[in-house]
Amino acid sequence: MAKGDAFHKADASALLDDRGYSGALIRGQNPALLFEKGVRERITDSYYWKEQCFGLNAATLCDRAVELKFIGGTTGIMGKPTPFLCLAFKLLQLVPEKEILLEYLNFSAHSPEDVDTDNAGEFKYLRALAAFYIRLAWEPVDIYKTLEPLLLDRRKLKRRTKDGFTLTYVDQFVDDLLTKDRVCATSLWKMPPRSLLEDLDLLEPRESLLQEEIEALDEEGDDDVQIVGSEGDD
Amino acid sequence: MSNKKGAYGTSGGGDTSFRKTWDRDEYAARAEERERKHKEESKARYEAALEGKKYHRRASTPPDARETEARSSRLDVASMVGKTMLVPAGAGIGKRGKGAGFYCEACDLTFKDNIQYVEHLNSRQHLVATGQTGEVKRAGVEEVRARLLWLKRKRDEETKEVVIDLDARLEMNREREEREREERRRKRNEKRRKTKDGLGHQEVKIENDGIIC
Repeated sequence: MAKGDAFHKADASALLDDRGYSGALIRGQNPALLFEKGVRERITDSYYWKEQCFGLNAATLCDRAVELKFIGGTTGIMGKPTPFLCLAFKLLQLVPEKEILLEYLNFSAHSPEDVDTDNAGEFKYLRALAAFYIRLAWEPVDIYKTLEPLLLDRRKLKRRTKDGFTLTYVDQFVDDLLTKDRVCATSLWKMPPRSLLEDLDLLEPRESLLQEEIEALDEEGDDDVQIVGSEGDD
Repeated sequence: MSNKKGAYGTSGGGDTSFRKTWDRDEYAARAEERERKHKEESKARYEAALEGKKYHRRASTPPDARETEARSSRLDVASMVGKTMLVPAGAGIGKRGKGAGFYCEACDLTFKDNIQYVEHLNSRQHLVATGQTGEVKRAGVEEVRARLLWLKRKRDEETKEVVIDLDARLEMNREREEREREERRRKRNEKRRKTKDGLGHQEVKIENDGIIC
């Protein structure tokens, strides 16, 4: 059925159909199950979902994502989902291809030659959204490979908590995604730690940008100890 | 007499030309189309059987049905706030017909709150009534990139107009207000000209209005 590939449902009825779901799978199960049941229900009940997430595709989703003003999970006593979470849920419905996700992540209006880490990912909330989705949907090696370059992005993000806002940064958010097990009202699936993947030769050991500084500090520290030691000898 | 036409729309003489002449090409094309459809369907049926699923034939969509698209703006739910409108006497009961609330033109239904209204707009009933398929076209990488470039341009244009200098902003605000005032004055004058004697609607003033002495 060629038509099934070129189109998808405007609403989430097919996604939430837990017996007759026939769309793309993520790690062998319905993508919607990556969100908790309570959160899922609150998302589909929310006004933002009904009004703004209806009939989106991978391109029109950008319209909504660039207008995001904050990230976050659920807010208030009722656990109202943020637009960020609603759009992440929409992404789970669409399951876009890898290239599209990479475009979200590293979009730059500059020509491909001029793109570097400074101007990649111009829409930072779109970038955060793509990173969140990648952490949920991709395979561990790809997750580490695509998300670790984002640790150089030091732009600010506004994060909505249960009862207010806090300041965070893109790199901090990405670090949370890689290390924590609960981000934005979602239990992230247990990812094998980096060290294990390194042992299996699937990943190269990560070179931190701060490595040189740390080594320099260590050396200084050694010098200090020596000086103290030599003084002690005298 | 010269153009004698037979019962089947044929003309000309001859013994056998009274028969209907068939457009062979057209019918060949039709047969081909039918065969192609049949083949496609049986292929889909076979594939479904291989996967252990049951094949359901897709209901045919009308040819003029268009794909559902995302809303291009927010639903304007506040447009009728503070307005008075006349509704028919029976409008308070049920959703049928135009009444007080959110009215759907295509389905002739009225809803009491925006949640019900937006749910209706997403419903199968409304989509069918407005000739939409309820399916959205999948976007590829190029479309995503084009969209993002467009959004970037749009944002650049919006931020270009933002002036940070305070004096300039005050000046801009004053100009804007002046323009609005001018517009209001123009409208008032138009209204005045429309009345019969050109004097406008005179305010009726009564001495000791509303005060009981």
